[in-house]
Amino acid sequence: MKAQKGQVRVITGNAAAAYGAMLCRPDVATSYPITPMSEVAEQLSTFRAEGLVDTEMVEVEGENSAMNVVAAATMAGGRAFTATSSWGLVFMYDAVQHAAGFRAPVVMAIANRETPGILAVSGGQQDIISTRDSGWIQIIVEDCQEIMDSIIMAFRLAEDYDIQLPVMVNYDGFYLSYLAMPVEIPEREDVDRFLAPLKDQPQRTILIPGEPLGCGTHGIEVGFVELRYKHCMAMERALQKVDEIDREFGEFFGRSYGGQLEEYRTEDADIVLVTSGGASGTARTVVDAKREQGIKVGLVKLRLFRPFPRQRLVGVLKGRKAIGVIDRSVGFGWNTGPMYMELRALTPEIGIVPMLSYIDGLANLDITVPHIERVVDEVYAASQGKPYQEVTWIPLEE
Amino acid sequence: MVEKLKKKPRVYDYFKEKEEQYAGGLAWCAGCPLELNLRFVPKVLGKDIVIVGCPCCSAPILYGQNVGTWHRLSYYSTLMTGVASSATGLARYYQKVGKDVTVVCYTGDGCAADVGFQPLSGAAERNEKIIYICYDNEGYMNTGVQRSSTTPLHAATTTTPVGKESRGKPTVPKNLPLIMAMHQTAYVATATLSHLEDLAKKLVKAAEKKNEGFVYLHVFCPCPVGWRIPSDSSIQVCRMAVRTNYFPLWEAEDGKFRFTHEVASPRPIEEMTKLIGKFAHLKEDQLEDLQQMVNDRYALIKTLCDANK
Amino acid sequence: MVIKHKFIIKTEGAWSDANQLLLCLDTGSWRTVRPVSDNEKCNYCGLCALYCPPQCMKDMGDHYEANLDYCKGCGVCAKECPRDAIVMVPEGEFADEGSKRSG
Repeated sequence: MKAQKGQVRVITGNAAAAYGAMLCRPDVATSYPITPMSEVAEQLSTFRAEGLVDTEMVEVEGENSAMNVVAAATMAGGRAFTATSSWGLVFMYDAVQHAAGFRAPVVMAIANRETPGILAVSGGQQDIISTRDSGWIQIIVEDCQEIMDSIIMAFRLAEDYDIQLPVMVNYDGFYLSYLAMPVEIPEREDVDRFLAPLKDQPQRTILIPGEPLGCGTHGIEVGFVELRYKHCMAMERALQKVDEIDREFGEFFGRSYGGQLEEYRTEDADIVLVTSGGASGTARTVVDAKREQGIKVGLVKLRLFRPFPRQRLVGVLKGRKAIGVIDRSVGFGWNTGPMYMELRALTPEIGIVPMLSYIDGLANLDITVPHIERVVDEVYAASQGKPYQEVTWIPLEE
Repeated sequence: MVEKLKKKPRVYDYFKEKEEQYAGGLAWCAGCPLELNLRFVPKVLGKDIVIVGCPCCSAPILYGQNVGTWHRLSYYSTLMTGVASSATGLARYYQKVGKDVTVVCYTGDGCAADVGFQPLSGAAERNEKIIYICYDNEGYMNTGVQRSSTTPLHAATTTTPVGKESRGKPTVPKNLPLIMAMHQTAYVATATLSHLEDLAKKLVKAAEKKNEGFVYLHVFCPCPVGWRIPSDSSIQVCRMAVRTNYFPLWEAEDGKFRFTHEVASPRPIEEMTKLIGKFAHLKEDQLEDLQQMVNDRYALIKTLCDANK
Repeated sequence: MVIKHKFIIKTEGAWSDANQLLLCLDTGSWRTVRPVSDNEKCNYCGLCALYCPPQCMKDMGDHYEANLDYCKGCGVCAKECPRDAIVMVPEGEFADEGSKRSG
């Protein structure tokens, strides 16, 4: 059984996020404007006003409320969606952790932007990094089509009885949020069909007025430990579930993204680049060009960041001669890129090979073809035994 | 032997549910009016309510401990910053699926006036169909009697103690019920635990008005431990607060104010402060300040009520 | 890792369930004074039962008595009684009674 061909429209990343949410018919959605995702809120409100959804739209007075509203709505049994960016994400951080701890299956779209500390109205992945320990599932996408598709897959993942965890779908603010691309919008019935398996699953625990069930009991001593453990185990199960759902999506809609990560020309690669988000597209171009020149380079696009795709990464990175990681954020305290730092933790399994950290793309500075070419050259040199610099802040070396 | 009365107090006529929803022995301090209040609420509103609570003096009872719980009500526990917003999420979902559910927020003044004020104000402005009950014990009592923005002028708390340099809280409290009335929601009222029939009537009205929009109830709820009053005197303090016009009982239905209990000859504020330990250090000038504040606030409410006649 | 612990919370998330376990504290052990009603003075108005914070006044048909399992000895009933029909008596006076439990 295959989905019908959807209508192709040229829409921005923000609009794609709103379409993705709308197609899944959320019961409750909240919106609060913040650059660069205000359009998501506007689009959803427009859909509602036009009668394309009957979602209860709540125009909250702050992002903190935005998260509390959707988390509570899911614990009452509903489907809920919200969207935000950087400062909004950290303002709602208490509620973000609350949602994860309560196992509320909220789906949130985040247009990544630099977090506060340095005032910036520009793109960067620091907001993902700032919230990586929240207990949420974090997915990072590359283009507008993937934004919409990942939101649909996110509802399927979050509400799965074995998972019951909130999911963040992250896309580059300013790059993808405002970029208009052709996006194939599935038919609503097809999205209903894709999400239908959820109806056959057992009912997760929800609030039932009149029943003496209490949502959010105190975790006392070992009871607390039990709940933390269950949370961690659910994240473990999410790894495989992400791959399964991606495969099902591919079979049904004809578009697949590799699940936890996408491997591009890695089968015979000597050196591997690891990127995430929009930069992956640029990296693919460079990989092709370098391959023409005879350098056996491959690319890993890290799509799932939390839970960390440890096993699959070990599988693809083992046996390589050098690895280069491009981070669009910084890792305070380690003075490297944060994704680099997490990949470095795989050393016992992948072997001690040169691993190079590149910090680039902060504050709307582009990660360009020449930048990535330089990365490939340096990683290649390292693989040949030449001395290398462990950490490079590309914008500062220009 | 004295003749036995045949009729029970009229308050019982307002009870929808006579059965106690809470366990017999609960960890509230002896004489705590909050216990009286919270046991009272489901009796008038019914036992099918969903209570949204946050860390405060009611949390050790409202929240469970692992799988065990102290009561039979449906509850949703959240953070102090998330009460009114979580209640919004619940209420909106139930509305969408067509379920008639009464969502009741139950928090102290620390949440309502301070850290949870933004979501409370937001929910009130959007006229969400929920009931928000704030019990005002004029401070953060659960964490050790620290001052909040409803702590009265010159009151002693652990963060506004009496010492050489300062003697109690230097600023006037927020007039939270009036602030909420300025949101022009469906129903806003003040109530206290000495006037239980008045409280019951207001709860009944709350259940009705919440179908139209946001309902806010501000309940004056002394803290025997924090205010340093004997455990038997909390109800008496409530009564005196009403009789001195320190806490006038009024309601505002769709923005129209009226007193629900008029005090013919209000007593001077000393008659209340002399009962309360946190005011024990008040000097003449501080008492005058307090009396002035009480007079001014009463005059303001009176103007609003008179405008309505 | 081998888990020896038997999980006490059966749900995935932090849910409590009064049907599984309704907790109760032995608050009767807190008090140092207990209310004693004088049936002669009491006119059965019911205000003590209404104002009792733990709602532990039992209806004895023509007067009220505190449920000693839960009475914390706060004294609100005695204070609110309009006929002074309740006095708070130190627990020491009842030391001869084998148990503090009511009959």
